[in-house]
Amino acid sequence: MCTAALAALETVYDPEIGLNVVDLGLIYQILFDDGANEIECTMSLTTQFCPMGEAITAGVSETLAGAFPGYNVSIRLTFDPPWNYDRISEAGREFLKR
Amino acid sequence: MFGNQGNTTIAKTTTHKVVLPFYVYASISFLAAALLLVQSSGNFSGTYFQPNILAITHIMALGWGTMIIMGASHQLVPVLIEGELHSNRLAYVTFYLAGIGIPFLVYGFYRFNMGAPALLGGGLVVVAVVMYTINLARSIINSKNRNIHALFVFAATLWLLITTSVGFLLLCNFNTPCLPHNSVHYLSLHAHMGIAGWFLLTVIGVGARLIPMFLISKYENNTLLKRIFYLVNVALISFIICFFSTNKAVLLIPILLMVAAITLFVYYCRQAYADRMRKAVDEQMKISLLSVAMILIPLVLILVTIFVFILSSYYSPQLILAYGFFIFFGWITAIILGMTFKTLPFIVWNKTYHQLSGKGKTPNPKDLLSDSTFHWMSLCYIIGFVLFAAGIIMSQLLILKIGAIALLVTAVLYNLNVFKVVLHKPVTDASNRDK
Repeated sequence: MCTAALAALETVYDPEIGLNVVDLGLIYQILFDDGANEIECTMSLTTQFCPMGEAITAGVSETLAGAFPGYNVSIRLTFDPPWNYDRISEAGREFLKR
Repeated sequence: MFGNQGNTTIAKTTTHKVVLPFYVYASISFLAAALLLVQSSGNFSGTYFQPNILAITHIMALGWGTMIIMGASHQLVPVLIEGELHSNRLAYVTFYLAGIGIPFLVYGFYRFNMGAPALLGGGLVVVAVVMYTINLARSIINSKNRNIHALFVFAATLWLLITTSVGFLLLCNFNTPCLPHNSVHYLSLHAHMGIAGWFLLTVIGVGARLIPMFLISKYENNTLLKRIFYLVNVALISFIICFFSTNKAVLLIPILLMVAAITLFVYYCRQAYADRMRKAVDEQMKISLLSVAMILIPLVLILVTIFVFILSSYYSPQLILAYGFFIFFGWITAIILGMTFKTLPFIVWNKTYHQLSGKGKTPNPKDLLSDSTFHWMSLCYIIGFVLFAAGIIMSQLLILKIGAIALLVTAVLYNLNVFKVVLHKPVTDASNRDK
């Protein structure tokens, strides 16, 4: 299920960088609680006061809700550890080189 | 793996309602300055102290450069300091006071009437800057992250406050002499506090964060930035001291310190560019990076002017006019032309689409502006800038006129794109289906 969630989140983009949130390394952890029908997504932003923060987290929340109907989605935002460029995946780096 | 600081609340960023009026005001000011430039082209073959040139300079410095920097900084400073803007209300007050004051001040210069309109305008601008300074200071004090970028921005704001206060004092001195010399004597002091203290420190402080961010570059060098910070401030303070010296050769000291500071900043940008992860650089970034190199042109000019003066005790009015033109229509305009379309589309996109994210396909922020209009604007700008600068140096009215018209076309295209972005209406899958 986590793989399916990550695949769904590959459609959510950081509007400035143009890279999806998974390859950008913003998604730290996705936990499923099938008993309670809940998904908890722990994620970060490139900076704590990212002007696009609300749009990105809303995109993650809506996409997970759409991919897993019937589940309640909660977003847990963390800056510990803070995001840095090393979190960008190999595929993300290749995308940026284009 | 993760700490305990997870939460679901997003840090509050500054509302677009605060920021957008500054952008719109600045773009109209640029158009007004370009119109006045066409009308006053002939004045650019004489001395710099003429009503039209004073009016154009102040539209460019205050209406164009300062308004857009103040607007953008209400959005960017919270990002730099990782804290919230202290007060939206103070930001509105700043906008209204400066927005009303600038036309009065410019009218006073245009009519060469330093009486009531200019004093009222100048007074309102000073109060606006006081409000802006308080807002920024309180925001920085309340923030957790007081970094080098915030230090640059705050020092720049203090220099802006000193510049506008000195400007107001010079206006008063025009009406009731209260200084040892007439106001013209102090103009270069007033101008350089604004150019180096306000514009340069802001551009370096914000640019040092934004340029690596937009290039997706890991490059960071706070030690270098601290050196640049001290060099610029020491250069400015030594300039003020040297200004009152009878030996004008000592002016080389602050100029050389400034050359060192700017060279280090150019090096910083070059390193950020070299270390970038994003290989493709868009036109907006190209013109912003071009502006960094353009800081060096007025520096070379001022060095030549000082050397000419040392050797012959003669100030070339063409070189001084060209120096001012390179700063306001060159460096400052180039960075604004580029950075407007790196920041404005995101502010408008965020206002329009942040609640629609994930609910359907939305355009990208860069789709909000017209690329072809931006491309033609850049082309007209480079042509207009080169021709007008050549016209000043050669004192050729025809070249000045053609250059001014090209810059007017630049301003028209800039305004078209700004209004296209600002007036953008939401486009989603649902609205496309309805059509």
